[in-house]
Amino acid sequence: MKDLTKIEEILLVAIWRLKEEAYGVKIRQHVSSVIGKDLTYGHLYSALNQLTDKEYVEKTEGKPTEHRLGRPRVYYSITPDGLEALKGAMAVSKKLWSGISRYALEDSETS
Amino acid sequence: MRKPPPRVPGWLIRVSAWYEDGYAVYGDACEEFYDLTETLGARPARRWFWRQGLRAFPAFVIDYAVWRMNMLRNYLKVAFRNIRKQKGYAFINIAGLAIGMAACLLILLWVYDEASFDAYHEKADRIYRLTIDANLGRAMSAPLAPTPAGPAMVRDYPEVVQAVRLTRPNRSTVTVGDREFFEENVAYADNSIFEVFTFPLVEGDPRTALKTAYAAVLTEDVARKYFGREPALGKTLKVGGGREYAVTGVAKTVPGNSHFRFNILLSMETRYAESRPVMENWLAISNYGYVLLAENADPAALEAKLPALIEKNTGAVLKSLGGSVTLRLQPLKRIHLHSDFTTDIAPQSSILYLYLFSAIALFILVIAGINFVNLSTARSTARAKEVGMRKTLGALRQRLVGQFLGESVVYSLLALVIAVGLILLAKPWLSSLAGRDLGLDVLRVPWLIPGFLGLALLVGVAAGGYPAFYLSSFHPVRVLRGGARVGAKNVLFRRVLVVTQFVISIVLIVGTMVVYKQLAYMKSKDLGFEKEHVVVLPGLDSVMRNSYEKLRDEFRSVPGVLNVGVTSLSPGRGVMKSVFQPEGYARDQSQPMDYRNIDPGYLPTLGIAVAAGRNFSEELASDRTGSVLINRTAAEKFGWKDPLGKQFIVPPDQNTQEEEIRLNVIGVVEDFHSTSLKEKIEPMILFYDPTQCRDLAVRIAPAGVQKTMGLLKAKWKEILPQKPFDSFFLDEAFDGQYRAEERIGKLAMRFSLLAIFVSCLGLFGIASFTTEQRTKEIGVRKVLGASAGVIVRMLSREYLLLVAIGNLIAWPAAFVMMRTWLDNFAYRTSIGLWIFLAAGILSIAVSLLTVSTQSVRAARTDPIRSIRYE
Repeated sequence: MKDLTKIEEILLVAIWRLKEEAYGVKIRQHVSSVIGKDLTYGHLYSALNQLTDKEYVEKTEGKPTEHRLGRPRVYYSITPDGLEALKGAMAVSKKLWSGISRYALEDSETS
Repeated sequence: MRKPPPRVPGWLIRVSAWYEDGYAVYGDACEEFYDLTETLGARPARRWFWRQGLRAFPAFVIDYAVWRMNMLRNYLKVAFRNIRKQKGYAFINIAGLAIGMAACLLILLWVYDEASFDAYHEKADRIYRLTIDANLGRAMSAPLAPTPAGPAMVRDYPEVVQAVRLTRPNRSTVTVGDREFFEENVAYADNSIFEVFTFPLVEGDPRTALKTAYAAVLTEDVARKYFGREPALGKTLKVGGGREYAVTGVAKTVPGNSHFRFNILLSMETRYAESRPVMENWLAISNYGYVLLAENADPAALEAKLPALIEKNTGAVLKSLGGSVTLRLQPLKRIHLHSDFTTDIAPQSSILYLYLFSAIALFILVIAGINFVNLSTARSTARAKEVGMRKTLGALRQRLVGQFLGESVVYSLLALVIAVGLILLAKPWLSSLAGRDLGLDVLRVPWLIPGFLGLALLVGVAAGGYPAFYLSSFHPVRVLRGGARVGAKNVLFRRVLVVTQFVISIVLIVGTMVVYKQLAYMKSKDLGFEKEHVVVLPGLDSVMRNSYEKLRDEFRSVPGVLNVGVTSLSPGRGVMKSVFQPEGYARDQSQPMDYRNIDPGYLPTLGIAVAAGRNFSEELASDRTGSVLINRTAAEKFGWKDPLGKQFIVPPDQNTQEEEIRLNVIGVVEDFHSTSLKEKIEPMILFYDPTQCRDLAVRIAPAGVQKTMGLLKAKWKEILPQKPFDSFFLDEAFDGQYRAEERIGKLAMRFSLLAIFVSCLGLFGIASFTTEQRTKEIGVRKVLGASAGVIVRMLSREYLLLVAIGNLIAWPAAFVMMRTWLDNFAYRTSIGLWIFLAAGILSIAVSLLTVSTQSVRAARTDPIRSIRYE
């Protein structure tokens, strides 16, 4: 069973979306805007490391640029295993939320 | 180029991501920082960067601690396993460190106590004592001030808030009802003493207690002694056989760490009532003066104004006398350790002793630390395999350093626990060292526990530092392959350390012996009088002096009494100095001389020989008014070949216009030591005047001292039933002057014993280690026919050489040090060669004994067993 924690799921979606642009800065900014909170690099990279350990993503190094003080960008891309996991997560998510409309939740909030 | 991101948070981000991707994380953060600089500006970007760094850090700490914990547990396990496995070495290390630490901590506590003198006064930082440098016929430097100076300063200078005057606390007779007491530390003081100093009153009003004449404030102890549980307030008592004083207050007993103490305070107003002219005389300099300055007042600026004060009040008189008076301010907290006045209010300590004792304690700790270094490096073979294994398994060198440092800290913490136990045992001894109960209250000293732990940590790191770096430097392949003689390189280093230990120990031994030799010299030197078997009844007051002749005659009739005499001051009890004008000198060339008042009985009583001329005579009335005796030094100083008949001139008194008086020298006495042997014998002049005498001296037969004393006491009660009988033996009092030296001697002896003990502990450890290493060699030698003696000699030779070298280095060092110390004494013993030889023989004998316990055992073991070893 290919299970994912919430943060791993979010990161995988972000990497899939960003495609060629999936490296630290962009992932962090994207995820921060999605969850509405500032995600620290510490959090980001510990989750990315988990994904790497599970072999859901792989790393490739880009070219060092001036603004990175000589440190190359590390790009992440999703492996086939990762894609499987993502599909599974999507299915679970869909099933989990099927039949519940936004209005239903807002109703229970007001009652 | 735009500004780079700030360094500190950058560093935080890098170390926080040490596990992986550190370079990527930092690169990301920098990229984002530059982007933000462009979009939002430099300042928000910097702020963002800082936030990233700070938020990253806690995760790093937690992560690090969790991972380290497991290793730490392993390190501790190994450390304790080592202690258990090598009980002997562990004992040597821990015991040595414990002794060194206990010595250090004890001295630290003592130093703390000494440094806390007078600090308990709330206004201590603003209180200054007036001291004086004066030349009134002779130069004097004293912690005294003209009596009117304090109040005048309060009047003239706004920065002086209050002034306190105090007379020297003296011993006095106190009459309560029909009971008589001798009370120590009775002084007159201004009422402001309660406002300037912190001496809280238990009973009475501190604002008025000493405002009126004939008022007295007692301390709690004294009040309890006189009045029991009844309130003392409103009671009366007589002091010195004079008028009645009303008790107006009871003060808390003065703390031990005060530079002066009082048991009874009498109001200074009393002195005004009794002798106003003296109190208002600017040149009657016999009282102590303290001033309280305003907040932020500058003492140096005030001191600069004081010459004007003297000039204004007594300038004219000083000019006519041709003298000078300079007032200075001495901060209250410096009195105890930083002043050296012979006329101080109470004996004070010296910062030098603090340095000396601290240095000695530190030396012991160094010796113990050396043991640790030596044993750890010597035993490095035992740990080499472990180091190799850990390195092979991926341990970094810095982790190994950490492990070994941690291990030595474990040792020093264990030593600390034992040291605290030792301190508790040694506390009474420390109190005797300090000369008073230290009342070391653990709770009173806030830094005590952190300070002790800090010391343990420091010792652990300092002693473990070298072994840690040394052990962790092993090359894994070489040590694991085995056979490598690790540690051989360090032999020279270890030898140097052993020599250092013995240098310290031997210097201490020589020092101890010189101190004791000087003490013995001072106690046995011919003083010019016979100090044994002289009983002194001190402190005669006017009532007693009136019965002087009766007392003298009655005492002479007591069996066992050989002679009786009186003097104004017994030898060793202080100095009485004044200036005199000998014949042939002008008035302004008056010579400073010691002087004493005596009666004819005094010289034979003390056994002071008359060298020329004659003693005073009771029959000749002129002896009382016109005759004096001088000592040999005086005759030599004035160049009088034939001193008999020479004269001293006493000028006419300006007020009464009398004729000048001439005093004939009728005899010369042999020099005798009226003060300790630290001082040279000064020219002395003796007058015949029993009315000025305070000490009654009685020479008794050596046999039946107790019985004679009983008879004397009975006679005293018969003649003066109202007065308490008080006495001391002259030799004890005289030798009591050397209490400071005795204290140093005792301390030096104990510390040098400790030093040599700890050194030998280390020597024992090293010797047993090397013997163990050479087990096989010894076996082979024995098989080839070596005798036990040869083996013992072979094993001991090296250490003997080290101790001998230590001696050669220590001797000159000790010689220079002790000669400097002996310079304090005008009359001193020589540093004999035998002292060095004795120290050398002692150190060699003790170390030989230590080493031979190991070598003899090795030499006697069955060679079969030794060869089979390993």
